[in-house]
Amino acid sequence: MTGAGALLGAALGLPLAMLLACLSPRLKARMPALLALAPLPALAAALLASGGVLELPPILPGLRLALDVPGAMLLGVAALLWIAAGLYATAWLRGRPDGGRFALWWLATLTGSIGVFMAADLVSFYLVFSLVSLAAYGLIVDDGSPRARRYGLIYVALAVLGEAFLLMAFVLLAQATRDGSLLIRDAVAALPASPWRNTTLALLILGVGVKIGLVPFHVWMPLAYRAAPIPAAAVLSGAAVKAGVIGLIRFLPLDTALSGWGEALAAAGLFSAFYGVAIGITQSNPKSVLAFSSVSQMGVIAAVLGMGLAAGDGGVALAVALYAAHHTLVKGALFLAVGVAQTTSARRLWPVLLPAAVLALGLGGLPLTGGALAKLIVKPPLGEGIVGLLATLSSAGTTLLMLHFLRRLVATSTQDAQTAAARLTLPWLVMALASVAVPWALYMAVIGGTVSDALAPAALWSAVWPVLLGGVLAVGLWRWGGSLPEVPEGDVVVLVAEDAKRLARATGSLLERLDGMLRQWPTAGVSLLAIGVALAALMLTGR
Amino acid sequence: MVALPAGLAIAVAIVAGVWRARTPLQYFVGGWAPPLGIALRVDGLSAIMLVTTALVIGAIGLFAREGFSTPTGAHETRASLAFWTLLMGVWAGLNAVWLGGDLFTLYVALELLTFGAVPIVCLDGRAETLAAALRYLLFALLGSALYLLGTALLYGGYGTLDIVLLSGLVRAEPVVWVAAALMTTGLIAKTALFPLHLWLPPAHAGAPAAGSALLSALVVKGSFILIVRLWFDALPGLLGQAPAQALAALGAVAIVFGSVLALRQARLKLLIAYSTIAQIGYLFFLFPLAATPPSFASATAQDWNGVAWTGGVLQLVAHAVAKAAMFMAAGLIGEALGHDRIAGFGGIGRALPMTVFAFGLGGMSLMGLPPSGGFVAKAMLLTAAVGEGQWWWAVVILAGGLLAAGYVFRVLAPALSAADAPVAQLAPVSLSRQAVVLALAICALLLGLVPLRPSQLLEVGRPVPQAALAR
Repeated sequence: MTGAGALLGAALGLPLAMLLACLSPRLKARMPALLALAPLPALAAALLASGGVLELPPILPGLRLALDVPGAMLLGVAALLWIAAGLYATAWLRGRPDGGRFALWWLATLTGSIGVFMAADLVSFYLVFSLVSLAAYGLIVDDGSPRARRYGLIYVALAVLGEAFLLMAFVLLAQATRDGSLLIRDAVAALPASPWRNTTLALLILGVGVKIGLVPFHVWMPLAYRAAPIPAAAVLSGAAVKAGVIGLIRFLPLDTALSGWGEALAAAGLFSAFYGVAIGITQSNPKSVLAFSSVSQMGVIAAVLGMGLAAGDGGVALAVALYAAHHTLVKGALFLAVGVAQTTSARRLWPVLLPAAVLALGLGGLPLTGGALAKLIVKPPLGEGIVGLLATLSSAGTTLLMLHFLRRLVATSTQDAQTAAARLTLPWLVMALASVAVPWALYMAVIGGTVSDALAPAALWSAVWPVLLGGVLAVGLWRWGGSLPEVPEGDVVVLVAEDAKRLARATGSLLERLDGMLRQWPTAGVSLLAIGVALAALMLTGR
Repeated sequence: MVALPAGLAIAVAIVAGVWRARTPLQYFVGGWAPPLGIALRVDGLSAIMLVTTALVIGAIGLFAREGFSTPTGAHETRASLAFWTLLMGVWAGLNAVWLGGDLFTLYVALELLTFGAVPIVCLDGRAETLAAALRYLLFALLGSALYLLGTALLYGGYGTLDIVLLSGLVRAEPVVWVAAALMTTGLIAKTALFPLHLWLPPAHAGAPAAGSALLSALVVKGSFILIVRLWFDALPGLLGQAPAQALAALGAVAIVFGSVLALRQARLKLLIAYSTIAQIGYLFFLFPLAATPPSFASATAQDWNGVAWTGGVLQLVAHAVAKAAMFMAAGLIGEALGHDRIAGFGGIGRALPMTVFAFGLGGMSLMGLPPSGGFVAKAMLLTAAVGEGQWWWAVVILAGGLLAAGYVFRVLAPALSAADAPVAQLAPVSLSRQAVVLALAICALLLGLVPLRPSQLLEVGRPVPQAALAR
């Protein structure tokens, strides 16, 4: 085993070991204080072990952990967010008697979230993907209120549906490789020639689409992030959702040009990008606004990957990884900012609000922020055509949405004259700093970009005008948008939920009556005879 | 208590023997070879079933020690005497089913199994469990009668019932069809395949927890294995596509129907019983998927039949282990709360963490989540279904997984909820019994380590479907 391999093992092993330690009630009660330690090896692995491979022990044949460059970028920022949010969670859990239970779900979600960036074969990817998706339920329903449980139910139902799509896609992928290899690399290489290529791609996009909240599968996102406590919402929206992004990066055959599929994905992504903005500006809860911004941002990521797939451009993976890394940091930081703002009085809000404003506008591409770099790097794949223009307009939309968010953030501050405790503020400031510094570091060190490229007048102008346009739109929204109806958070769900419930109940009671009938002796006797006769007839005629 | 580890040791020794020999082992009782004597045979399937049985019955025995033990000096109660006798009787019956080498021995084994299993349902002697047991007995006897009738027809036609000899003699002719239809129908009645499941829910839900575990995990599998023996070993290559698809179609309906009804049950034990009906459905996918002649399968070198065979048997084993754990967990929850209404489970996760964890692990296997035996089994069945171009079964397998997630979630969500006040008045439940249940659930999880390819052990003695015969 190489040193890099060992580091990969430790990245997954430490949170897993801490999870197992929770079997002891005594250790479980102490776990909330240690949450920030669990992702440390993952951060080390992201910095030092890029390119490392770890074959799992022979009792699990064919399973492998590996870290490529896009994986390492996302793993690093995810680990950073998990550490900062872990510090926040430790402070937030202080004095709570059942903090151990929260820690248990936290560690389970963390294990899955770290694992998806390293899993190199289908089985372990499915395992960690399921873990991060399903364990998140425990974080969402943490407060135990009926509303949280209802939202959690919607979340988990969609997550399980996504799992089913993904399982079928993986079975088809495994069939595409003739030699029985389970490695994702081999499966994806064989995919373009597979007889089930279109079915596989459709199932993959559906399965991952649920995870990244592609419209109309986005309904869980605002519900889940709103119900989850602040630190959980931060890691779910920042880190956990990237399981879907890495899924798209890993499983789309980006080296082969599939123009139909690519354009379809790009169209779906762009639709999500605008839909998220349109619904987001009607929301009043800052957590819901952020959730709809996630819907929008994930849509942009899907659009970039779609264009890459259409062009057969494998290099798009790196660009998307940088974009997603920036989103991980900023979205995590902004959720923490909501938590800090909730415990800060309006007059002392400025030290929170200013960095939050920079980060929020960064999502729209404000020059000098990490967001400007993220927008810059995805520009070439999006192209100069209509897709490129729409993507730029979506940046204006994001700016609008983020200005709306800042306004709602101010509104959530308390009236008491107080400042948030330092142990809540510190993780937020660390994340805010990282949100600007890390994208620059990645841009220069990994992508190989230069400062002069990033600050060229043309690049600056193309970054500035969508922000300005968004600002103008925001002024318009504030003047005349007061009468916008607030769309319910679960928009589509609310529309169909009642009908679906009625239909399910009716089907259920119908089957129950059928069961009562079938379990009568006369019916059962007739069924017995009928089956015997039918089998004999089928055998006789089947010749 | 001595018998349990001894039985497990013998089973493991037999597996080792089959593994070393790579061919089926056989033993002629009294040294008389068939057709005069009786043969006992062990192939890969029997070996796996022997170990599974020993493992599950071992766990059930340990679990039941508290409920059915007789303290020194006290008079043995009727229930405890009956329970241990019946447990051993069922075990003997099951092992005879796994080992029997001719159709009449298998009939005897089946009857032994039925007569051992029926009284377990009514151990507590309440009126409703007596009614459930009678219902079970009558339907099982009906099934046995049909099986015996078919056996008699085959004996009349070919003059032997030894499986190996019979497989060399049978031809595609009406007597075989009629006999096979009678036997299959009788056996699926005993397996409680939809729509012949009338006896299962009251019987499995009414028995004491240890008994439910035994019935749901193992007893229904006995008659299922007989169907497999009949079609794969005694009548190899004679199962046409039409009847195979029909059997799987019943299985598919069973999956959807059983799962939806499980979703609607108010009591935990009934929920688990309906889940058994659904899980039995998966087993019947073995017939179209593992007995496909090469002409029907897509022209690839892959052995999809082998994948389906391993997947199907693994589903059987994984369900046996997981379901036994779940029924015993339900028993412990029922004992602690004094009821098993799901609506009243709030906060039970904090009171009985090990038990609820074990139930969750078993549920994971039913849902087909990794890493569990159920996941590997379903992944292999899916692979085979797609590989053979029978994708419609794949859709049902996935839908079944979703519905299973629904009914497992229904139990776990209130059990793990935080807001409810701590459960009042819990009867104490001993830690050792919780540990037994958890250990069994962990076994269901460890089955997930089986590699996703045809198992060499199970290949021992597996007949390969041949295109020529099937046509």
